[in-house]
Amino acid sequence: MGAHLNASNNVGEQMPCDHPLLELAELEGIKAIPIKDIFKLKKLMKECENDGGEKRVDKIYEKDWNRDYNSARRMSSWTSTHAMCVFVSFAYYFAGKMFATVPSS
Amino acid sequence: MKIQIYVTAILVLLLGSAAPIVGQPKLSVDIGLGFYEPTLTGFDENDIIQFPTKSIINRNLLLNWGIYYEFFHNARIGYNSFTSYEIGKNILLVNSEAAIRRSLIYRMFPIETFFRWRPRIELNFTLTPIWGRGRIEIDTTPGEKVEDWNYFLSSFGGSPDQVSDMGATDVMINDWIGYSSMLGFRYYFNTRMALDIKGGFLNNSYKDDGWRVQRQKVSGPKMKIDDLPIFSIKFVYGIR
Repeated sequence: MGAHLNASNNVGEQMPCDHPLLELAELEGIKAIPIKDIFKLKKLMKECENDGGEKRVDKIYEKDWNRDYNSARRMSSWTSTHAMCVFVSFAYYFAGKMFATVPSS
Repeated sequence: MKIQIYVTAILVLLLGSAAPIVGQPKLSVDIGLGFYEPTLTGFDENDIIQFPTKSIINRNLLLNWGIYYEFFHNARIGYNSFTSYEIGKNILLVNSEAAIRRSLIYRMFPIETFFRWRPRIELNFTLTPIWGRGRIEIDTTPGEKVEDWNYFLSSFGGSPDQVSDMGATDVMINDWIGYSSMLGFRYYFNTRMALDIKGGFLNNSYKDDGWRVQRQKVSGPKMKIDDLPIFSIKFVYGIR
């Protein structure tokens, strides 16, 4: 982490496509970039694209989408039970709203 | 050689401890609006005091913000707050033309489970307890507070001498508990930003005799805030 931060301070000295921030985004995902470095990453991506690294930048985005999608595409463990409880309470409530009748006095 | 081993060990430890930091984002914040339809009889049908006219903004609209932590692949916990505000002035009391500020805050501690139906689309399921708080603040003339407050409180149907002494703060508060359940749909614009739309219901165990002013129990406005459908739309930003 320290090496990444030290290296990221020397922006001017290296090619934008070889910058450690870009490597970090590629390996761990865009959201792994510290929030203070988001604008720097955007700038680096633009510069990398201009340097002919368009495919690499596209790949970073694609990998990020796939990473998020694959980690959450199926419900695991107890989460499906929780979701079912929510769904049943939701359906019971709105079915009651639609079909329940007020008893006459 | 020994030093190299130590350095390598320290580096491995440091990198190992840094791994969760550079992992997938877990923390997100959101801000948005909620919509519901309570029946605030105590304000709208008050024969003694003319409260501000009801409108969509002070009745149906809720300001919403929240913060969530993803503690499992498909689950988040967090804090979420829906607030309804009403502000009015020139409320005629015995000695004052008072300004009034009323808020109903539905504080939620949700457990939300979710899955990605499509890469950009998430369906989520929220179940939450509610800690609700009602707050009514009025500016009265110093020195004449007790009379004004008793007049104000009796307009809600209580006895005419509910408070005997008043301090510096002119506020009445009520707390209650409740629960809510919501189904949601989230569309991701990019991997950090998303729009979240939810629908569900609120159930609050509000009682109009649970209000307090300066630790004195008083009666408050009649409000029907149980059994309410609620909808929300919010913008979500993933921090880390």
